Amino acid sequence: MSTPTPDRETAIETHERRAEALRSGLLRTTLALGVGFMLLPLVIVVVYSFSSVAYGVFPPPGLSWRWYAHLFEQTAFRGAFVRSVVIASVAVVISLGVGLLCALALVRSDFRGKEALRGFLLSPIVIPKIVLGVGWFIFFARLGMQGGVVPITLAHVIVVLPFVINVLAANLVGLDASLEEAAQDLGASSGKVLWHIVLPQIRSGLVISALLAFIVSFDQVESSIFLTRGENNTLPIEMFLYMEKWQDPTIAALSALLILFAAVMVGIAVVASRGSEWRRMLPR
Amino acid sequence: MRLTGRTTLWLLAPALVLMAVLYVIPLGVYLINGFHEFRDGRILSVWTLRTYAAYFTDPFSYRVIGTSLRLSLVVTLLAIVIGYPVAYALHTRVKGAAAKTAIALLLFSPLLVSVVVRTYGWLILLAGQGLVNTTLRALGVISEPISLLFNMRGVVISLTHILLPFAIFPIYSVMGRLDPSLKEAARDLGAGWRDTFLHVTLPLTMPGVVAGALICFTLALSAFVTPQLLGGGRVQVLPLAVYNSTVEINWPGGAVAGLSLLIISMAAVRALNALLRRLPTA
Repeated sequence: MSTPTPDRETAIETHERRAEALRSGLLRTTLALGVGFMLLPLVIVVVYSFSSVAYGVFPPPGLSWRWYAHLFEQTAFRGAFVRSVVIASVAVVISLGVGLLCALALVRSDFRGKEALRGFLLSPIVIPKIVLGVGWFIFFARLGMQGGVVPITLAHVIVVLPFVINVLAANLVGLDASLEEAAQDLGASSGKVLWHIVLPQIRSGLVISALLAFIVSFDQVESSIFLTRGENNTLPIEMFLYMEKWQDPTIAALSALLILFAAVMVGIAVVASRGSEWRRMLPR
Repeated sequence: MRLTGRTTLWLLAPALVLMAVLYVIPLGVYLINGFHEFRDGRILSVWTLRTYAAYFTDPFSYRVIGTSLRLSLVVTLLAIVIGYPVAYALHTRVKGAAAKTAIALLLFSPLLVSVVVRTYGWLILLAGQGLVNTTLRALGVISEPISLLFNMRGVVISLTHILLPFAIFPIYSVMGRLDPSLKEAARDLGAGWRDTFLHVTLPLTMPGVVAGALICFTLALSAFVTPQLLGGGRVQVLPLAVYNSTVEINWPGGAVAGLSLLIISMAAVRALNALLRRLPTA
């Protein structure tokens, strides 16, 4: 290889700089397109919730509030929303309690078959939900537990538990065990150590796992569709069944409200976990 | 916290009881149905392999399995091919942690909204006179509206959208863990962007790609809402076969279809996990 002359060197540098500018431009465009692609369905849902007509034509010929008015006449959606919130909240509380104890055992003690047990506890994540759904349908039917919210809530606990265990275990791994051991050496009971030492340190993990569990529970369709029989539909199932019959923007109005609901939930979670970060830094 | 063996057992007990009663037993009760038979509109509680024999000799079963595999494969490939450059652009071309977090949040925000809502969004977008067709016609790409709903195309587009964050996230997080000095070393040794990318960045981020593919493939395989609402009955995948059998009270048939779905998804998890272990890590 011959040594490049100064002239050629500048030429190569200019070429490189141009190529880099082109690459950057392309990559930024890709990123913008990616974000646009991800947000597009949500944006269009909000736009259509204000459409003046029932059919899907772009752009909508006019704007109106009629689909929101129609939505509030549908009492089934309201009942289903409340039911979904209650089911998700109870499932979150149970799975946080059970999951925390379980994560503690997985992180803080060593025993034979621990990895196999962890794999088993996390396995509901990869099992197709429809298979679990039919399983629960047959199981609860055999027990004579049909209808109501109890079977759905129990099913949701199993669906969300692996997510909770996963997040909390990851949080607990990062903790310094010697702090807990010092408290134990000074005579604190396991319960006190858990409450005063462990919990305050994993507050953001608790918030994140609660939020994740709530969202996952709130989104269950095929795992729960056989456990509902009309009078106890959850919200996504009510919407799913409505969409199988009609496709007017009533669903868009409801979806727009759900998008708002999700945004508020995330806002609360951000504030809550920030708050805990601040509190940790402040002296007591 | 120091835990004794007995305390550990007590801590694990609630989860183990819940998992045994509400997970192992229901799955068992369900799969056992595959060894019964469905005839003349009712389930015969006899022990037989006839349901399995009927399932594996029926060409329709293989068509459903084929459609499931094809859909999952196509959607996984699309999610990776789109997700990789997006993750790379986010990692290399966005300056500042706050901006990165904000854009990452935007990319993942659709996950906070029910899959039914997202599927409804695509129903509006892909309609004959919807935004996609209107735009393509305005650009002169097509002269007649193309049918994007109630066939494979709509399901592929919508499912790619649903799974894209699951492809972006693992790739992005592996890129974040990559040692920047590796890239610098490649540059110092005279490698241009292309060689650095092809010989350093891409191989070292393959674990993220495989992890993303694993999540996308298993989720695509078990997708139910999207093929049901956007497939218009033309996209018969395994979860729909399980659903339809159960609706027709054909629990034995549903159990066998469910078991094949379960086995395919477990096999995919195992295969991709094995691949993941053999990849070099940064």
